[in-house]
Amino acid sequence: MTVMIDLKNVSYRYPVSDDFVLKNVSFSIEKGKFTAIIGNNGSGKTTLCNTIRGFVPHFYKGDLEGDVIVDQTKILDYQLGQLGEKVGYVFQNPFIQVSGVKDNVFEEVAYGLENLGVPVEEIIVRVEEILKLVKIEHLREKNPFELSGGQRQRVALASIIVMDPEILVIDEPTSQLDPVGTEQIFDIIRLMKERGKTIILVEHKMDLIAEYADDLLVMHEGELVMQGPVREVFANPEFEKYQIQYPHVTEIALQLQKMGTPLAFLPIRDEELAEALNMTGVKIHD
Amino acid sequence: MKQNILLQLHPLTKFYFSLFILVIVLIIPGYSFAFAIFPVLVLIAVFAGVSKEFLSIVLKALLSVLIIVFIMQMFFYPGDHVLWNWGIFSIKQEGVDYGLLLTSRILAIGSSFILFFRMTEVRDFVKSLEDKGLPPMGAYVVLSTLQIIPEMKRQANTIMEAQKTRGVETEGSLLIRAKAFIPTLTPLILSSIAGTEERAITLESRAFSAPVKKTSLHQLTKSNVDRVLPIVYVLIIVGLLVWRFFL
Amino acid sequence: MKRSFKDDFNMMAMLLIPIAVAVNLVGFQLANVLRLPIFLDTIGTILVGVIAGPWVALLAGLITNLINAIFNPVYLPYALTSMAIGVGAGYLSKYGFFKKIPKTIVAGVIITFIAVIISAPITVLVFGGATGNTSSLITATFLASGQQLWTAVFSSSFITEVADKVASVLIVYFIVKGMSDRYLSKMNYGHLYMKRNNKK
Repeated sequence: MTVMIDLKNVSYRYPVSDDFVLKNVSFSIEKGKFTAIIGNNGSGKTTLCNTIRGFVPHFYKGDLEGDVIVDQTKILDYQLGQLGEKVGYVFQNPFIQVSGVKDNVFEEVAYGLENLGVPVEEIIVRVEEILKLVKIEHLREKNPFELSGGQRQRVALASIIVMDPEILVIDEPTSQLDPVGTEQIFDIIRLMKERGKTIILVEHKMDLIAEYADDLLVMHEGELVMQGPVREVFANPEFEKYQIQYPHVTEIALQLQKMGTPLAFLPIRDEELAEALNMTGVKIHD
Repeated sequence: MKQNILLQLHPLTKFYFSLFILVIVLIIPGYSFAFAIFPVLVLIAVFAGVSKEFLSIVLKALLSVLIIVFIMQMFFYPGDHVLWNWGIFSIKQEGVDYGLLLTSRILAIGSSFILFFRMTEVRDFVKSLEDKGLPPMGAYVVLSTLQIIPEMKRQANTIMEAQKTRGVETEGSLLIRAKAFIPTLTPLILSSIAGTEERAITLESRAFSAPVKKTSLHQLTKSNVDRVLPIVYVLIIVGLLVWRFFL
Repeated sequence: MKRSFKDDFNMMAMLLIPIAVAVNLVGFQLANVLRLPIFLDTIGTILVGVIAGPWVALLAGLITNLINAIFNPVYLPYALTSMAIGVGAGYLSKYGFFKKIPKTIVAGVIITFIAVIISAPITVLVFGGATGNTSSLITATFLASGQQLWTAVFSSSFITEVADKVASVLIVYFIVKGMSDRYLSKMNYGHLYMKRNNKK
């Protein structure tokens, strides 16, 4: 497998602060993997996203130590403008993520392609396809400013996906959305994984992470404290000490275990609970 | 709406027309010609189907200016031919003439620009300037300004309402009213500015500064009329200049 | 890397311009609603000059008047005034005029002079001395009392402008005080107003 993102001993400090927000972070992510970054507020998740996208240090300045390598090239050797095509970035606030100059959703989604100089005929084909994929065809004539938060977030995702970046960095896309909106966003993320995109997601909803993500990075006070496949990280007793939520089912299972119910394995998805309880002691889950 | 031949002209053809009016009004002496321009503009507005907006904006924007300019000249322009006299006030023929000249020019030039903006979408005008070499950043700033203004006006009203319910007085003496200004405007500015960092990131994420030439879904077409008219304008102006200064 | 530094500053400054223009318009509207005797329609332009420098402010001033001119072409010739106010505020900021209140007031007076010197000739040459705003009445009074046209226009616009500009610069002073270091650090002249001294 080719390594898509590689961080080596990365530390970073914003220009107006004394403290490092990232402390000696190292990890690598393979092409096509879906990695979730979790951690409490202020643990450096968003800064980490900004680093992968090159906004740190190109936009935020400050002191960056160590190496950030995206697709075999050091981030410092990219120009900010070049990274747009390679790394798509969607963040939390759906209300600010509009170009601010387009009157309808179709043109809004087309904006990135116009900036990339894609020929007009091709833009139309690609935008049509994405509107269908993201299921926002019915919004095409609407003014982006008149949409709900969930609709805007889907438009924001569509506007990035249409540019066909190899890497998607998505920072808490659902924190301001209701369950339906959240479900719709995760549907799109799942589709992107099927298309072989490398995905990095910051998210607090552990049930969804357990269901979709391959790997976990756990951030704590600027340090990368745990990393590995989702199941292993949740199963590691060390996880508990960072006071981060477990998936609901895992939480329940751990309670049961404490009260004396033996578990065959630690379930992280709802449907695994029965299996984990029934098959007690019989077989160890892979 | 869009079937109209006049409205379909290229934005620059229409813009050059306004400049053309400006130049000929300044070249041709006297006020009769400049006053005669206005009915022509009204006629164009009627053909373009924008006469109502055109006239209402001319009234709102220009009428009071025209009246005041005229009155000022009538009373205060220096001259010897006194037409009417009352105390320190006197109306002089020279003042009336100069007042008519100034108002005729303000009316002709002002209304030609009003007409231009009634016949042209700002978006199209900006696009035409972009085609002429206006940097994408300039185009972005103008278009984004047009979107931000109504948004901020709305927010200002919301904040004003909130201030009122919190007991900030917006009525009463001058000092009291003045005190309401800062708590309304300051949060508006600070909250708008707080969003710019994320907006910058959004634009970068949409490859705003990608090192390539941008394309655009929005294309302006140039007809033969658009190619010929600017040449006609220039020929007329050159003709007028020759007539005015060499004949 | 060097290139993108410049670009990024431009991007943040560029995004400030639409806000500044809207602030000019909203300020004017608010002053109207509150029936204040001053216009307060250049707060945005001055603000841009103070934190982003003269050239960005020049653009903000220009665009303000262009957009006003869409509905009232009388604004068009006065674009020169707005641009001059922006450039003036930018240079005054560069030389440290907006750091303390007394100097800020001086800056307001200087900006008044700039505004009057640029706008009076426009008023006289294009509109014959009056455009129908508050200063027209004062101009008429001066003229009636026998003053020369130019003196009348200069003095009447100075009288109406000085309170407006001093109030505007003070408002800008307080707005800049309220800005975060994080934001200021991204503006050309922001480092002048940051609460902590940053080794650049």
